[in-house]
Amino acid sequence: MLDDLRFAWRNVWRNTRRSVVTISATALALFVMIAYTGMVNGYLAGMKANIIDLDVGEAQAFAEGYREKPSLYTVIEEPEAMVIALEREGFKVAPRLLGTGLGAATDNSAGIQMIGIDVDRDREVTKIAGELKSGAWLSADDDGVVLGWRLADNLGLEVGGELVVLSQGADGSMANEVYPVRGILKGIGGLDRVGVFMTQDAFRELMVLDRGVHQIILRTPPGVSLDAATAQADGFAPDGTRVSSWRELRPSIASMLDASEAAMQVMGVIVYLAVGIVILNAMLMAVFERVRELGVLKAIGYPPGRVLLLVLLETAIQTGVAIVLGVLLAIPVNYAMTHQGLDLSALGNISVMGVAFDPVWRSRVDLSTYTGPIITLVVIVGLAVIYPALKAAFVRPLDALRS
Amino acid sequence: MITRRALTRGLLASASLLALWPRTGHADLPADAPAPDDPGFAEYVLDRVDDVHRGRSSHAIVTMHVKTKRWEREMSMEAWSLGKEYSLIRILAPKKERGTATLKADKDLYTYLSKTGRTIKISGASMGGSWMGSHFTNDDLMKSSRLADDFNYSVRPGPKIDGVPTWALVLVPKPKAVVVWGRVDVMVRQSDLLPAGQLFYDEDLKPVRKMEFFGFRRVGAYDVPMRMRMSPLGGEKEGEFTEMIYGDIEFDLDLEPSFFSLSRLETL
Repeated sequence: MLDDLRFAWRNVWRNTRRSVVTISATALALFVMIAYTGMVNGYLAGMKANIIDLDVGEAQAFAEGYREKPSLYTVIEEPEAMVIALEREGFKVAPRLLGTGLGAATDNSAGIQMIGIDVDRDREVTKIAGELKSGAWLSADDDGVVLGWRLADNLGLEVGGELVVLSQGADGSMANEVYPVRGILKGIGGLDRVGVFMTQDAFRELMVLDRGVHQIILRTPPGVSLDAATAQADGFAPDGTRVSSWRELRPSIASMLDASEAAMQVMGVIVYLAVGIVILNAMLMAVFERVRELGVLKAIGYPPGRVLLLVLLETAIQTGVAIVLGVLLAIPVNYAMTHQGLDLSALGNISVMGVAFDPVWRSRVDLSTYTGPIITLVVIVGLAVIYPALKAAFVRPLDALRS
Repeated sequence: MITRRALTRGLLASASLLALWPRTGHADLPADAPAPDDPGFAEYVLDRVDDVHRGRSSHAIVTMHVKTKRWEREMSMEAWSLGKEYSLIRILAPKKERGTATLKADKDLYTYLSKTGRTIKISGASMGGSWMGSHFTNDDLMKSSRLADDFNYSVRPGPKIDGVPTWALVLVPKPKAVVVWGRVDVMVRQSDLLPAGQLFYDEDLKPVRKMEFFGFRRVGAYDVPMRMRMSPLGGEKEGEFTEMIYGDIEFDLDLEPSFFSLSRLETL
């Protein structure tokens, strides 16, 4: 066996050029697979993270009927018990108040969506507080509001300006108030054009709404599956309140993500197939070029099993070297793609189906980013080498020598 | 068609005959009114409906009563108008909203918010929003699109409203008109061509709101419905309504366009 190994090693370097070509093709293919896997995972995770971190959370609770027909009066009447119970179970929870109205600046007015938040709790469930283009995020002791950037643009407002809000209070009165603009958000998606964030207290005073909330955003405890956590949260919801996962809340985005995942997998299969063919080609060449040589081995009494073992060992050596090279090549690229990423902001503000995307494309890399492609590579090489190896093992010495 | 015309003539004849009798509480058919089969009839009637609370100029005290599923409230208001282009409406009560006012001048609509001391211009999408919490929209107030301009119309006998026979003008939007309604029926009393009701249909030709006029009274040279009520039909808001009740109304005052200014809006 050890002899065979030594023999195989010698054989590999007998024709250095051929081996180098085979090894580099394999290494390059592995590198492409690893880098591609990392980028795809990063792309999908980034999209999901944007939806969950900036917009939906993992799940949300609404009073029944609110989602079909939003109304100031359709509230979760007593959210407190639910909030406390969920927090005890490790959920992060933030109730929100929602309402519509008219926002106006000096010369312009536009329809707005008001979002009254519990500033401290909200910070725990969304990353929106960090997504400011200018100014500062809400503070519980300040009556300033934060606007979506398109809304601010349309109204000609900047930080320090004044937004007049006109709506109708829960008691039918004309709700109107002037708020200083405290901050303006970066692109976060659907709320860019209409969103006005304010504190819960300011919202309640404006809309004369003493109790109840319209929406509760949930972040599920780590390690619990989305469905299980959603079901668990739903168990804590009072009568007439339903908890839905982000997949139910944004079905089109969820299916778009599934579709991109499937598309990426199809692409992956194609990449892997291409790699497989390259390797198959290299292996075939490596064996068929040496038919005479192998025929001599057979002629001096080498049994087919040992020839087979020899070819497999040679392939294993080449593949091993290729894996080391491919991984060494992938590590710095992955490092750069996770830490620096690919800045696509030159393409403009990217938003798909109302969800803003981080303009920097980052890879997501973990152990499986390497192990997956390596295992796949080994399987492909294994499959690719069987035919030439068998052919070599069972070649008739006379035929081989004559050719 | 011939029989309907004959019928119309007959009705008109009897209406003018009635004029010879002492006043019955109904006003007469205006002398300049075209016959219902006259091409100018619809336009004439629509103008008359538009102008029923307006005259050349007007000043009125109005109570607005809004009833919704959740709440019911009353506001009293003072309103001025001049021609079709200018009007100014200011809330007198309740106290919390006193001074809040709406100004329509030419094609612009402004609302002054007394609580915050700001004036905002209503435009674009907000035109379809509720006016002062009522079932009227800002657009209703603007009547920026005159019915006669944007609709094709046909005249037919309408239903009896309050026992009074009516003409119905069926308005269908012109192909390229940008309007919110799929169809509007305007009912006017056959006796005096004063408005009796309006029915608004959505794009699927389902009736979605109706306006009714009641309590006709003679004010100076005009006959005026002193009460009008807008009620949404079908859906969530069925059963809600907004009623405008005219307390005092006077016409043809000495008002200048300069009266309807932003500074007046804010200082009234």
